[in-house]
Amino acid sequence: MQATVALATPLAAIGDVFSLPFVQRGVVEVLLLAVGAGLLGTWIVLRGLAFYSHAVGTAAFPGLVVADGLGFAAPIGAFAAAALFAAAVGRLADSRRRGYDVVTALILVGALALGVILASDVFHSAANVETLLFGSLLVIDAGDLALAGATSALAVLATLALGRTWLASGFDADATRAIGMRSRAPDLILFALIALATVAALSAVGALLVSALFVVPAATVRLWTRRMLPWQIATVVLVAVEGVVGLWISVEWNAPPGAAIALLAGGVFAVAALAVTRARRPAVLVGGIVALAVVAGGCGAAGSSDGKPEVVATTTQIGDFARAVGGDAIDVHQILQPNTDPHDYEPRPADVQAAAGARLVLVNGDDLDVWAKKVVEEAGGHPAVLDLGTKVPVKRGSDPHWWHDPVNAQAAVSAVHDALVRADPGHRATFARNAAAYLRRVRALDAAIRACFTRIPASDRKLVTDHDAFGYFARRYGIDVVGAVIPSQTTQAQASAGDVARLDALIKREDVRAVFPESSLSPKLAQAIARDTGATARYTLYGDTLGPRGSAGATYLGMEAANARAMAQAFTGRPDACEGVRP
Amino acid sequence: MTGDPAVQVTRLAAGYGGPPVLVDVTFAARPGERVAVLGPNGGGKSTLFRVLLGDLPAARGTAELLGRRGTVPQTERSRLDFPVSALDVALMGTLSRLPWWKRPGRDEHRRARDALAVVGLGDLAGASFGELSGGQRQRVLVARALVQEADVLLLDEPFSGVDEPTARQLEALFDRLAAEGRTLLMATHDLEQARAWDRVLCLNRRQIAFGPPDAVLTREVLEATYGGAVVTLPEGGEEAVLPAHHHEH
Repeated sequence: MQATVALATPLAAIGDVFSLPFVQRGVVEVLLLAVGAGLLGTWIVLRGLAFYSHAVGTAAFPGLVVADGLGFAAPIGAFAAAALFAAAVGRLADSRRRGYDVVTALILVGALALGVILASDVFHSAANVETLLFGSLLVIDAGDLALAGATSALAVLATLALGRTWLASGFDADATRAIGMRSRAPDLILFALIALATVAALSAVGALLVSALFVVPAATVRLWTRRMLPWQIATVVLVAVEGVVGLWISVEWNAPPGAAIALLAGGVFAVAALAVTRARRPAVLVGGIVALAVVAGGCGAAGSSDGKPEVVATTTQIGDFARAVGGDAIDVHQILQPNTDPHDYEPRPADVQAAAGARLVLVNGDDLDVWAKKVVEEAGGHPAVLDLGTKVPVKRGSDPHWWHDPVNAQAAVSAVHDALVRADPGHRATFARNAAAYLRRVRALDAAIRACFTRIPASDRKLVTDHDAFGYFARRYGIDVVGAVIPSQTTQAQASAGDVARLDALIKREDVRAVFPESSLSPKLAQAIARDTGATARYTLYGDTLGPRGSAGATYLGMEAANARAMAQAFTGRPDACEGVRP
Repeated sequence: MTGDPAVQVTRLAAGYGGPPVLVDVTFAARPGERVAVLGPNGGGKSTLFRVLLGDLPAARGTAELLGRRGTVPQTERSRLDFPVSALDVALMGTLSRLPWWKRPGRDEHRRARDALAVVGLGDLAGASFGELSGGQRQRVLVARALVQEADVLLLDEPFSGVDEPTARQLEALFDRLAAEGRTLLMATHDLEQARAWDRVLCLNRRQIAFGPPDAVLTREVLEATYGGAVVTLPEGGEEAVLPAHHHEH
């Protein structure tokens, strides 16, 4: 009786997790991918192509840049680049003389370099590239499912037709020509298929999961099997099990599913390898499995909502606006955390769950948080989505950093107020009172910053920042943006030697006193430029995100005030300049 | 038919981009003949085999083969941890006869089983290749060449690392294959084995001698082939070659 109860509770908890629609789609995706990943995984391990399979996804980068620059669909660009990569490796690698590794590494370096040059110097705004590679098991759509299914079907067909040939050329490469197999086609098909499957998995589940699905489970089963067919079947099953269990762990722990599955697969491999080396003692294996189960089961379920309307905000500053206006009347789920780059983001289960249950989703727009749209679409709920980028009056082309102009911030706060009233009319009075109070503080800060900067001579107000994020702020307060270390509005581009040299010369000619690193980026390049030019890199600005709790930039008002003080102190060289500018 | 040589090599020179590592090779073998190729490590045995397999182009001269060729490599060069059975390996021999997009069917499986039976491994078809003994693995690779219906078999030191009874078994198998009209070329270090074959080809970066064993295996030829590392055994006064690792440069 007691045993039944003890078992029923966790089972019910597992059932709860899998009743969520976005989790169900993730499970279907994992099961569809498992067939192709398991089959191809055995060939990858057998033929020593693990590095190739990892590299081919990364090598899709230049294809994504070109697709973004010329405006065609990202997967087509990725497939084209990966297929070219496969063909190049297949042609150049003569398996009898040198391994694939050297050729793969050579071509990979070439592809990455080409991608960086294309992103930085040919298509100057490559702001979308990173979002094209965005993928997560939590936001699977019908296209992802179709692609995974098609890839798996192709993998099955090719294994049936060409498996014997792939086996023979791996068995003794020296003899492949001698026993009369002269065609390169089967190996090229294997390369192309791995490329296709990798890109399919990449766009659906992210780069981390590719090796976790394609290499680790096959290597795990390889420890225990001595024949192809049982190896292949067991690998497909193991990929499916690890995928589903990993997805469950990810929901329970609110961890990114890619990381959860990769960790699980690595753990299972470690346990299996240990069990094999330790004289095949089953006790070790059992112990390991129990340990994994305990770790997996030791986590509690997420807390439940308390009935307040839930509002999802993508960025830290929008989260701050929502909290300021909504106060205690709403629950704000803020997706990005302080100091995380909005360009590198993988959603967590709690994000999708929050979007599914939310009444209102607030996004920044202007391509800063394109992924938010996918999260909302796949979450299965029907929240109102407010793109604040379309509500602000001051725009600088496609520059997404509009919040650095307090005029825009006021418009955004008003728009948030209106949307909250529509979502929860019962708290109309609270929202109006909060919004009015907050708007007063924004206006007061705006006036204080303006007053402070007018006391600084215009010729001293020269700004060099990490990436071009402060155009709005500069225009509002009459600051001359001399240049940026990364000459782009995305943090993903790279500065060339020529860019740095030009910037050095410019800083010296214009007598710029300070270069400003950003709180969420590495200060190295800014510091190097400061050393070369004699400027200071001592003052840090808050660019893309608020600072962590307790820092001066922990709120929107704190961020703008801190930026103003840092700039004023750097421009004037006086450590007490604009000390009075406080939120 | 018996008049035409199965293998005809004329003034062959071959190498790997630099100066040739093997020159002046001229010999012929008729169907059903067994040719032992003797020589030190680096003497050109594997270079000759690679040319005969079509894996390496001749720098000068010609190497012509009549019919299909099959290779029986040293089993240590195959990956013993490969997840294949004896039957799987034998089946690899069918691939040369199929278009590349076709998988082996019922007929190919039957031929692979027949070949395993011919080499005396009919009941080990399902055994893992890596778990077989050295002699059994050698026979599986012979079966693969038989499945290919090879007319010329290139054997790379088939007796290295096998015990005496196994060597006898292999020897009997090779005799039978030759009797069926196949031409066998065997790279070997073993003077005793070479003495028992129809022809001996001695190589040391060039051809030292070619002919029947009695005529070829003289002290002068062996010294030219092995660079003086030949000792006369006390009993019977026969020559023997010191183990290879004692006189490698």
